Amino acid sequence: MNDIVVLAVSGVTRSDLASAQLGGRFGRLDLISQLALLAVEPLAPHFDSLPRERIGICIAVRAGSLSTDVEYWKDRDATGGPSPMLFTYTLPSSAIGEIAIRHRLTGPNLCFVGSDDIVLSEAADWLRRADVDGCVCVSCDVVTPPAAEVIQETPATTACALFLARGSNGLHALREIDRDMKLLCDKIRSQNPACPK
Amino acid sequence: MEISLTELKAKIIESLKLQDITPDKIADDAPLFGEGLGLDSIDALELVVMLEKNYGIVIKDIEEGRPAFRSARALADFINARRPAA
Repeated sequence: MNDIVVLAVSGVTRSDLASAQLGGRFGRLDLISQLALLAVEPLAPHFDSLPRERIGICIAVRAGSLSTDVEYWKDRDATGGPSPMLFTYTLPSSAIGEIAIRHRLTGPNLCFVGSDDIVLSEAADWLRRADVDGCVCVSCDVVTPPAAEVIQETPATTACALFLARGSNGLHALREIDRDMKLLCDKIRSQNPACPK
Repeated sequence: MEISLTELKAKIIESLKLQDITPDKIADDAPLFGEGLGLDSIDALELVVMLEKNYGIVIKDIEEGRPAFRSARALADFINARRPAA
């Protein structure tokens, strides 16, 4: 994969949401979309050098929209019914739409529910085939405490994002063994103190 | 008791989870949708749910609610006219 480089990385947790300044409509998004948008934000300056229709989005959401589904289901008997706004986020890929709208990215997109270990290789394939000139890769790990009870897992609320492009100059040359996105993000950030959080 | 415009604006902000906006920033007669507050069709549905939850007003046909959603003042008038007696 030595022709593909990571140009930017970032990682966020739920605590970062408190200081997020992403506009008036940010509050309506579900937790997955909020974390994904916040993680992608520091990557945005790199989008300006490429045509927006040539930038793809590849995302993995470990537990799909389960946390949002549980929240929606909880309100099923409420007067007036559950929130229509929340309903729009009971789709695992909804974060892709939010990223695409905010950054006006109209390239191909792909959403994996489950592990993120195929995201980077899929994005690299797009780049090598010249389907895209850049690719935003996002991994969201969102399992709220009520959802964690359902699937007997540990709660988590993190997201990390990388921006890949063809070339030789970047923070890191992508290799076949680079599969764990969070591990790679942490590694690149530790080696590049100037990287955004 | 009649609903005040300030109270209604606060309810709109709360139910639509609008950030960086306070009741005094919503003009009484400014359009809620499109220009003005910039709400969309999902927000309209959310407002329908808000009316039922908070004021016991059921809107079964969106056309029935359309005039009410013109502005904050129109919505307050609609609520005050349709609100079930306590």
